[in-house]
Amino acid sequence: MEILVNLDVMMAKRKISGGELAERVGITPANLSILKTGKAKAIRFSTLMALCHELQCQPGDILEFVDD
Amino acid sequence: MNWTKDKSITLSRVGVAVFAALLLALDISCYWIAQWYARWRFYHFQYGALLMLSVYLGSVFGWICLWQLWKLLGNIRRGEVFVLENVRRMRRISWCCLWAALICLVSAAYYLPFGFVAIAAGFMALIVRIVKNAFQQAIDMKEELDYTV
Repeated sequence: MEILVNLDVMMAKRKISGGELAERVGITPANLSILKTGKAKAIRFSTLMALCHELQCQPGDILEFVDD
Repeated sequence: MNWTKDKSITLSRVGVAVFAALLLALDISCYWIAQWYARWRFYHFQYGALLMLSVYLGSVFGWICLWQLWKLLGNIRRGEVFVLENVRRMRRISWCCLWAALICLVSAAYYLPFGFVAIAAGFMALIVRIVKNAFQQAIDMKEELDYTV
């Protein structure tokens, strides 16, 4: 049971680089990498909101619940 | 790190150094103190030897404690506060206090005032242990915070 982060997929769809997205969202590339690699333990609503705004998507497009 | 924090850590380090000096003085003068005490109370010198044994055994744990405190303060000065190394150091300090308390407890059989030292050392072990538990919890919280994006 886990939450998958499909940020890579959305970034590829929107053709946006990690550095550019990090800058637009206002987080460090290191933190974006933590999020992309699934190492993050939590995500702030403000970060999620900014990501959805920049990628023009819904939270469900970025986060996916996977049951065992 | 601001002025007050720096000064506070320096003061703590001075405190550790003062206790190290006191312990060193005790280690050096222990033989004469034990001899004098045995003579004063008209006890056999074997009693003084027992007293010396207790002091030297306790002193070993005292030195370990002081060294761990010195290193702990060094870590805090560098800004490494909630790290596993500090938890390990606090655990060692706690165990040292407990061992010193046990030595004092046994020594209280022939010199009662050691019993009070045993209680103090045991209570100190408990306090350090609780602070260690809090640090351990804080490390987990810090890790979670570090991985919150």
